[in-house]
Amino acid sequence: MQRLLIGIDRVSAWAGKTAGWAIVALTAVICYEVFARYMFRAPTSWAYDTSYMLYGLLFMVAGAYTLSRGGHVRADFLYRSLSPRGQAMIDLPLYLLFFIPGTAALIWFGWDFFYISFLQNEHSSVTPDGPLIWPFKFLIPLSGALMLLQGLAEIVRCVIALRTGHWPDKLADVEEMETQVLALAAAQKAAAAAADHAAREAAR
Amino acid sequence: MSDPILGMVMLGSFILIVLLGFPVAFTLMAMGVGFGYLSLEARVFDLLVQRTYAVMANDVLISVPLFVFMGYVIERANILDRLFHALQLASRNLPGALAVATLLTCALFATATGIVGAVVTLMGLLAYPAMLRAGYDARLASGITCAGGCLGILIPPSIMFILYGATAGVSVVKLYAAAFIPGFLLAGLYMVYTIGLATLRPSMAPKLPAHMATASGAQVVWALLTSFFPLAALIAAVLGAILAGLATPSEAAAMGSLGAILLALAYRALTFAKLKESVFLTARTTAMVCWLFIGAYVFTSVFGWLGGHHVIETWIVEHLNLSSLGFMILAQVVIFLLGWPLEWSEIVLIFVPIFLPLLDNFGIDPIFFGVLVGLNLQTSFMTPPVAMAAYYLKGVAPPQVRIQQIFAGCLPFVGIVILSMTLLYVFPHLALWLPDYLYGTAALPAGEPVDAIPEGGFRVDDLVPALPSFD
Amino acid sequence: APQVSRAQTMTWRFQSTWPQRDIFHEFAADFVSRVNTLGGGRLRLELLPAGAVVGAFQLLDAVSAGTLDGGHGVSAYWFGKNKAFSLFGTAPPWFGDANQYLGWFYYGGGEALYNELINDILKVNVVGFQTGPMPTQPLGWFKNPIERVEQLRGLKYRTVGLATDLFNELGAAVVALPGGEIVPALERGVIDGAEFNNPSSDRALGFPDVAKVYMLQSFHQRTETFEVLFNKTKFDALPAELKGVLRHSAEAASADMSWKQQDRYSRDLLEMTQNQGVRAITTPRPILEAQLRAWDAVVARLEGDTSSPAAGPFFKKVCDSQRAWCRRVQTFYLRYEAPSVLSFNHFFARG
Ligand code: NA
Ligand code: NA
Repeated sequence: MQRLLIGIDRVSAWAGKTAGWAIVALTAVICYEVFARYMFRAPTSWAYDTSYMLYGLLFMVAGAYTLSRGGHVRADFLYRSLSPRGQAMIDLPLYLLFFIPGTAALIWFGWDFFYISFLQNEHSSVTPDGPLIWPFKFLIPLSGALMLLQGLAEIVRCVIALRTGHWPDKLADVEEMETQVLALAAAQKAAAAAADHAAREAAR
Repeated sequence: MSDPILGMVMLGSFILIVLLGFPVAFTLMAMGVGFGYLSLEARVFDLLVQRTYAVMANDVLISVPLFVFMGYVIERANILDRLFHALQLASRNLPGALAVATLLTCALFATATGIVGAVVTLMGLLAYPAMLRAGYDARLASGITCAGGCLGILIPPSIMFILYGATAGVSVVKLYAAAFIPGFLLAGLYMVYTIGLATLRPSMAPKLPAHMATASGAQVVWALLTSFFPLAALIAAVLGAILAGLATPSEAAAMGSLGAILLALAYRALTFAKLKESVFLTARTTAMVCWLFIGAYVFTSVFGWLGGHHVIETWIVEHLNLSSLGFMILAQVVIFLLGWPLEWSEIVLIFVPIFLPLLDNFGIDPIFFGVLVGLNLQTSFMTPPVAMAAYYLKGVAPPQVRIQQIFAGCLPFVGIVILSMTLLYVFPHLALWLPDYLYGTAALPAGEPVDAIPEGGFRVDDLVPALPSFD
Repeated sequence: APQVSRAQTMTWRFQSTWPQRDIFHEFAADFVSRVNTLGGGRLRLELLPAGAVVGAFQLLDAVSAGTLDGGHGVSAYWFGKNKAFSLFGTAPPWFGDANQYLGWFYYGGGEALYNELINDILKVNVVGFQTGPMPTQPLGWFKNPIERVEQLRGLKYRTVGLATDLFNELGAAVVALPGGEIVPALERGVIDGAEFNNPSSDRALGFPDVAKVYMLQSFHQRTETFEVLFNKTKFDALPAELKGVLRHSAEAASADMSWKQQDRYSRDLLEMTQNQGVRAITTPRPILEAQLRAWDAVVARLEGDTSSPAAGPFFKKVCDSQRAWCRRVQTFYLRYEAPSVLSFNHFFARG
């Protein structure tokens, strides 16, 4: 089971990280647009459509990756003080009740939204000769599916935490600075306490 | 149950349910879909999809990942300790030198990165123990670190005002211009308070140890040149380009990201591994913010569909019969209180939109309101029970520092925030002067009056007269 | 007393694509108030501003899906789905005025072509009425006067519908934004110049706060009308008399709007030029002529798009129908009407 869960983490992380590179493309496109405007007095029509598409790709596809890293913000001052079992007791019903319907709707109704656009061969309304818009709309059911998959993994993790009293391990990954610093500080404190203890033991 | 009552129940239950600690984005989405289903039935799912698409195609939010990316590149470039060291040297003759250096470092670094957690924890590791070793009062040191670390969401370019602008439909550029002076005013007041305290009660903030106070002028200049100025110049360029109208916020953020990459290269701090970390963290943070936006959009759409805004409007305008000042105080007190359990993002995305439609009724400028909200939200980081800054600091502080000491240390700074809000309310020009100065387009001298009948009558050719000159 | 059928009141959510403060939202409210009066308590529309449920550009999708029961906007907003959408509402400047366009729509075969587009080609689940004739739309708002055609080259400019292709042809970089987003975009510097629609809307949306040059006259949107949409499933389920209420309210609101605008548009232009430091300038004739030449190129290109029968061929079919109408009806009016310039000068411009 743990291998399956880590496997799902991998899928989400791979998709999210791949989409993450859109930020570099976005930076490049917009910098080019600025140069085009100031150096050649030739602003582009395509930069506008390209920009929001890259931005949309970036955050939609990275949603599941963020979920796998526990990165979606929680109002967690009570939650944090609970044991893993207590946390899982909150999470499990809410994943089933709050999370599944919304993400399933993103897949089901998002598919219709995309499919109509596909049948109409819809182009962007925002610029003349705008690019095709249905591939962009396809991101909605796609991200919904990624989210749902990761959500199912989190549900299984809740069940495991309820049974064992521990959260199962997740795929290791880059951490926020504060998480790194906090971990470092905790390790230092633990080391200091251990050294202190050892010194007192030695003195006795 | 009628729809408007349903809307009120929805809002009330959200406040309770969100405190269970389930991710806010999905809580919002679920409550929007759930309560929407009671009235809209299956059509609420189409609404969810359409609102999701609206966030995807939102051209204001494009600048969010770009600013986040710039922040992570700067954060990963390890410039914080250089910066702190240089500012410490430069402020060495001031009373409370360490405190001033800490506040300056926080303000500058927070403004560049906008990442509160990183600033507070890094400064908590670096400056906080230095202050404690120098004999600073633990409460004062805590307050300085927490208050300074939060300035990044207030001082432009900040992501909070992008979200506010996207929610309120007002110009982000004007918001930046309006927040500029109040942001620095708040940082200035923090500093005045600290210096004042260090002068009056030197025991709380003793002078620097002798070896630190003897750096030569050249050393100071060099330290500043290599750490403070490049970062300050980058921020000034980004902000200046936006305020001067040379670039849109997203263009400035993209150029800023490029600048941050070049800066990190110059410090030899940028490896491919670090770039990758920045990219991945950007993806996660952007997804966090934008999925929250989707949740909030769905929630407020359903709230609007159910007629919730109308109920609140009727209640506040007709039943309470508030004056403009009364409404302003009510709104700010509500936001202040919500800041205890909630974080700024939830407040900006869920509760601020409820007040926005009312601003017209009371003749309040949404830009001015936005700046007041921005100041107010500074407190949400420092007020228990959810005090992000305090918890981060507790996590890195030596074990003998108690969380109550940190809260006590934050208290005067919360007071300073409230003082600055009062100042802003009494002198609204603090916020409104700069946008007026920068963007108030001068009236043109009247040309031919549009109601004038041409000499001898209209002829078709007269309808296309030669262009009047402008000088 | 006679038993009046007062079964349950049906309440429909009806969203406009306009911000609350825009006079267009008021025109939407004028339509809604007619429906609510004539509906006799059986059908009630509840009007919401743009963004209340969905953004302006998502209205068609939302009404088609049934998220909204109906809405008030312009067809040009949907031209990403098919370029011909823009012909229904804001066609190339071959109509004498927008009422002539409405004449074509209701008596010249336009409605059938419109239904072919929405029902057969795009298969969107809506019913639509055209209503509300607008006068010529100004070239718009700029930091500096537009004196020469070349100034449009490289300019970042906002407009909608076929006018985006027109300005693209003239060398501008064009972005179509919904009404409520134009002024913030002008402020952020996303665009350098913009048109929305008319003195009252432009004034209410805050254009005079961010630009002071107002260029009057242009051929980019010589005529335009509103489009009122309803979810087709819901509409088809209505009894015949309520269907009539919706259609006749669109007709009545159309006439009312053509009267109300005379008062409001002229007043607001005066107000802006007299009290808000706005300089109204007539667009130089060479620019107007360049626009007409650019229209030739745009129409030829779109008519020649053979990528699918729904593209060029349908576009040409609609254009042919409009041109046939214009040739007959415009010729009639140009021959038939005594020139108003002559009588105006006689009464008001003597001495
Ligand atoms: Na708080
Ligand atoms: Na227009």
